[in-house]
Amino acid sequence: MTNKKNFKYLVFLALFLVILGIPSYLWNKKSVKTMAGRYNSPMSPIIMIPGSSASANRFDALVKTVNSQYGERHSLLKLTVHTNDTITYSGSIRTGDTRPFIVVGFQNNKDGYDNIKKQARWFNIAFDQLKQRYRFNNFNAFGHSNGGLIWTYYLEHYFNDDTIDINQMLTVGSPYNFEEKNSNKRTQMLNDFIKYQDKLPSDLTYYSIAGTKLYTDDGIVPLGSVDAGKYIFEGVINHYTLITLTGDKAEHSDMISNSQFITLFHQYMIGNKNGQQQSTNKNSR
Amino acid sequence: MDKIFTNRFERSLAKVTLKLQRLLFYKIAQKTLFMIFPFVLIGSFLRIIQVVILSKDGLIGTLLPSFEDNWFVNSIIGVTNNLSNLTLGFVSVLAAFGAAKYTAKHYKRDDQLAGLTSMISLLVISYIYSKTQPLIFHTNLLGMRGVLFAILLGMFVGLVFKTTSPKIPEIHKKNFTSNILQRTFISLRPIIIVLAIAALISALVNVAYYSHLPDEFMDSLATNYQSKNSGIELLKIIGITLYTIIMSFMGWSGPYSPLDMEKSDPNILDNLYYALTNHTAWGAPHEFTSNSLYHAFATFGGAGSTLALIIAIFIVSRDRDFQTVAKWTMIPSIFNINSGIMTGIPVMFNIVFLIPFILAPLVSLLIAAGAIYLHLMPPTVYPIPNGTPGPLIAFIGTNGSIQALFFSLVDIAISVYIYIPFVKLAEKLKKIDNLALEEGDNND
Repeated sequence: MTNKKNFKYLVFLALFLVILGIPSYLWNKKSVKTMAGRYNSPMSPIIMIPGSSASANRFDALVKTVNSQYGERHSLLKLTVHTNDTITYSGSIRTGDTRPFIVVGFQNNKDGYDNIKKQARWFNIAFDQLKQRYRFNNFNAFGHSNGGLIWTYYLEHYFNDDTIDINQMLTVGSPYNFEEKNSNKRTQMLNDFIKYQDKLPSDLTYYSIAGTKLYTDDGIVPLGSVDAGKYIFEGVINHYTLITLTGDKAEHSDMISNSQFITLFHQYMIGNKNGQQQSTNKNSR
Repeated sequence: MDKIFTNRFERSLAKVTLKLQRLLFYKIAQKTLFMIFPFVLIGSFLRIIQVVILSKDGLIGTLLPSFEDNWFVNSIIGVTNNLSNLTLGFVSVLAAFGAAKYTAKHYKRDDQLAGLTSMISLLVISYIYSKTQPLIFHTNLLGMRGVLFAILLGMFVGLVFKTTSPKIPEIHKKNFTSNILQRTFISLRPIIIVLAIAALISALVNVAYYSHLPDEFMDSLATNYQSKNSGIELLKIIGITLYTIIMSFMGWSGPYSPLDMEKSDPNILDNLYYALTNHTAWGAPHEFTSNSLYHAFATFGGAGSTLALIIAIFIVSRDRDFQTVAKWTMIPSIFNINSGIMTGIPVMFNIVFLIPFILAPLVSLLIAAGAIYLHLMPPTVYPIPNGTPGPLIAFIGTNGSIQALFFSLVDIAISVYIYIPFVKLAEKLKKIDNLALEEGDNND
């Protein structure tokens, strides 16, 4: 029925499949063997913790701004850990999104060292669940205000860097010495942080942003308190950088809508390389 | 005419098609698709190089040694990216040109200027207002995904030319070049109107956001409602499959990308972990996932199982155009890049092929689901390299299950069988109404 010429193409098609099939089958067989040791999804989330008295919705506007300003499409997953250790989820991670934002908020979001300890424990529960669910092996950390303290406490007491890597941490207005301006008067928390500093992951790169208005504080947190972070991190982790942000919207709570901050946030948390990768993936067909 | 068609179904489908072919949109869409075909074809070959050979996750790339810091390879990657972005990644701009040109020509307006205006207006709409980079665009509006929008935009521009500028007088037609200035002023009004509208849209509407909205919605549906009940999971996968297929028929791509398998879905990771600890894909906890059904069995050659269409053309077609297109698009289709055949036949917007385009993947998917359910074959659980040929995905993704290979072959045979009558019908219709030789195109 069909002419010989077309038949030739069918044979070619079949041969082509066989020729491609054999090496890729052998390769996959080998790769499955190596994967049996360890396998991780390509996801590298940006995990964010809001400050005291803020909920998991704290960063909605930030994510929206980043997405529209950079033409990227990061999804947003929000977890709230309740006081009875249960977790509620809202939002979702789009399939194939390798750089999603994950916000972990707490039902008890009060200030104070005791609460921070509790929140770090709750965060650990959430983090384990996330790790189990999405199987990522590296992530970036972001904390606003007390969120940075929770991160630090978590890294010193719960984090195990044998199985998972923290690439970069960025915090905004994290008061390592609470409301204390004078770094000679160390609070209990700061002393504890310094005491356990050797538990911090040594390959961590950390950027701490402090906002100032009238040279001394951001309206709530004194510059000295943010700067006290150096006693914890300096010399222990890979890089510790303190950035001082001034000008419009440099107040404690406004800072995450400051355009300078958004540039820094994008640079350190997302990076340009990944943005490019995303856009080439988008029109794949 | 009735004699040509063998049964009532064929006859009624033919009637509907012929009626549709008389619509202006249909004519313009088809001509535009033919126009962009060469660029799509070149782009698909480049994408093979990009995705399959040069990418680390690509089928051939994984076999090659790593060449991350090799400047020679890096410059090849750069050049391929460049060319592929400006062919396959730029076809919507070309489509906007074509659609406006053909519409304006249909109404006897200045077609060149209409085309150029439409091209610019698409770029204006997809422009990103960035402080750091002077000239960047929402790339997904410019590639294959944006073709439908581009055609509609082009037609709109053509219609603006029709309503706001006079017909080109006969004198100008004969001696067109000497009257360039006059010709410009005839079309100045529609050009300004179109550009103003485009600028307004680009400033007020977040185009990228709305173009993602339907996908975003389907995505959250897919990821948020994960049921323990495998029946509901199956229904969900069928739903998203249908959505993806219908969207690609209209030049969109749905949540399931034909090139990348899903790697971060919790169910799929669960399956993979099970398989890695138990050293077998048999008995994986989630039988029905997008990988085990859609990616493994419903994308032979891309959305709509278009590799089956190519095989069907080789088997039954006597039409020379079909055969040429099939030959040229065969290799990209092996790697699941189907943009070529979508625009070359064209399959896109072609109502004759809508039925097999949906039916072939769906039937394959259901057969696969049945086989997995009856434990005749294991589900596809392992990640596979990008661009693995459709018929081999299940075989490789189960780490070499002969049963999976068998069902892939059964499915592809059935898909070909489903496509065959429609290829025959399309050929008959082509004879009746040969679009390529349409009026209006002859005086180019």
